[in-house]
Amino acid sequence: MRNLNKVIGLILFVCLIGGCKKEQHIGYGVENTNVYEDKSRKTKKKNDAEYISILYTNLYQTAISPNQLYKTQNVLYSIGDQDVASEMLLSNYFNTGSIQMPSNTLMRQDVEAFVINTYKRFYLRYPSEGEKAFFKQYILKNSAVSVEMVYTAFATSDEYQYY
Amino acid sequence: MNRKNFITKSGVALGGGILAPYILPSGSLFAKSGSQKADHVVLVMFAGGVRQQESILGRYLEDSQGISGAAGNIMPNLFEGNAPTKKIAYGTSVSGMPAGSEPIPKLLTQSMEKSGLLFPEVKAQSAGHYVGLNTLLTGNAGTAQGLKVRPSYPTIFEYLRKHAGFSATDNWFIANGIGNSTPLLNSSNHKDYGLNYGANMFAAPVTFSGAGKEVLGNAKTYSRTDLEPMYFMKNFLDQSFALTQDQITSISNTDEERTRIKDFIKSVFEKQQAGQLAMPPVTDTGDAVNMMYAAEVLREFKPKMLAVNISGVDSCHSNFTGYLQSLHRADHITGWLWQYIQNNIPEMSGNTIMIVAPECGRNETPNPILDQNDWVSYDHSDANAMRVWSVMLGKGVPNMRVGSSAQPVGRLTDIVPTIADIFGILDPVTNAGLIDPMAKSLYNRI
Repeated sequence: MRNLNKVIGLILFVCLIGGCKKEQHIGYGVENTNVYEDKSRKTKKKNDAEYISILYTNLYQTAISPNQLYKTQNVLYSIGDQDVASEMLLSNYFNTGSIQMPSNTLMRQDVEAFVINTYKRFYLRYPSEGEKAFFKQYILKNSAVSVEMVYTAFATSDEYQYY
Repeated sequence: MNRKNFITKSGVALGGGILAPYILPSGSLFAKSGSQKADHVVLVMFAGGVRQQESILGRYLEDSQGISGAAGNIMPNLFEGNAPTKKIAYGTSVSGMPAGSEPIPKLLTQSMEKSGLLFPEVKAQSAGHYVGLNTLLTGNAGTAQGLKVRPSYPTIFEYLRKHAGFSATDNWFIANGIGNSTPLLNSSNHKDYGLNYGANMFAAPVTFSGAGKEVLGNAKTYSRTDLEPMYFMKNFLDQSFALTQDQITSISNTDEERTRIKDFIKSVFEKQQAGQLAMPPVTDTGDAVNMMYAAEVLREFKPKMLAVNISGVDSCHSNFTGYLQSLHRADHITGWLWQYIQNNIPEMSGNTIMIVAPECGRNETPNPILDQNDWVSYDHSDANAMRVWSVMLGKGVPNMRVGSSAQPVGRLTDIVPTIADIFGILDPVTNAGLIDPMAKSLYNRI
């Protein structure tokens, strides 16, 4: 019996040693890169729950609670014009004051960077040159335009409803 | 450019300038194919499944529960007839008295039957709720209509927007909740009509609920100066993304209309807070709450077309007493809405037609479920569930009773051509070929 235990122990030891293999490092030559959306590929509409939870996370940088999500979903569904519903929802959010967004001063310090970041934040893509020029010019020419106004326009836009 | 060319081109430009604003979304120059009979229509979708026996026939408990001598009319605002005198359980409860023993006093000095056009025996096209509601709004029997999808055929709202040039805020649908696909009834998914021509909609008991107040009630009131840049930027973004027709999933309003709707929602929450909302004397049902918000929409927007849905009577599946109470209250709130229009909305008073009709009836034979009074309940699936009525009153509507139990006249699909007729667009609606071929304007049924 004692011999049998020794034999088994030996076999296990041999298997353990034989099973070890030097780790191989395989490289595929892939370079790190940032991946961004393309407007033309956004063909799927976010459903109400997706839209609300993405919007909430975007603005507050924290996830919405399931209870809050359920309530918001029902209320939005109860209004025929979804633009009206989402504009009011956003306006309600902006009234809470705890939204994570740059100040108006910061926006005006570097409008181009603000426009690019806003496109990335809401649309997950870079603006085209035309889009960038439009917003830069519009913001610079209109001193009344605030970050809140720009964010409202983006968050209620058609493109933000798609992915 | 020579003188002749200049005069020709100027003439064309001038003519275009004059005519272009009158070209309708349908592409036609003139909307009306007939004379307009009234400026406003209110359709009360008296839904939930109403038995002829307890409504128009005034049989109360006599037929349904076999209680001898317990017949009587429990819908005094809609129909003529004495109230029952035996086993009164449909009213409100007074302390020390049996539950429901106090009938709600009649509001209208004259019943709708007495002042309007009554079709006491009308053929419904379906014994189900959603298809029935579709029938009321599309004028099509909709036998293949599925749940959880928009109506397959255009609604009256779309006909009115396309052929009569109505705006989105001229058309309202007030749903009584977000269940049973009801919020989808403000527009069809028909390729020639659809959401571009849909009505505005509130599922009012949800929009203006506690959750609604939490989600929308704290919204900022932006000035026009604030809104202008927001809409300008949004419109730029939307044009750049350019949704195709089949990607549109919501009706849309103009910037001005959207602002007005948002202001309205805020004002309702404020009135709610201040206890200033007009309401029927008895407001103890969800239907009454819905009717109250319908009245608010009417007062604010004075829409040309508004349809409001109620459905409390569907409790009849398992609670006959509850059904009788809901029926009595549905009569009360319908009467109240008519009275509210006449007394509180001068722009609509004397210039409105109200149409009231259930979407389907209920069975002749009961199911075995007994309620607190040991009364049997009724579902909706047999031939009796295809029996309904309709009543119409208001500007220029003759006072007549057309048809009888023995001689049914009319179909539920008649409602859409009737509304089209009221607004003078019966021909384009009929010619679109999308309504029940047997449907007729009620004016042509007389």
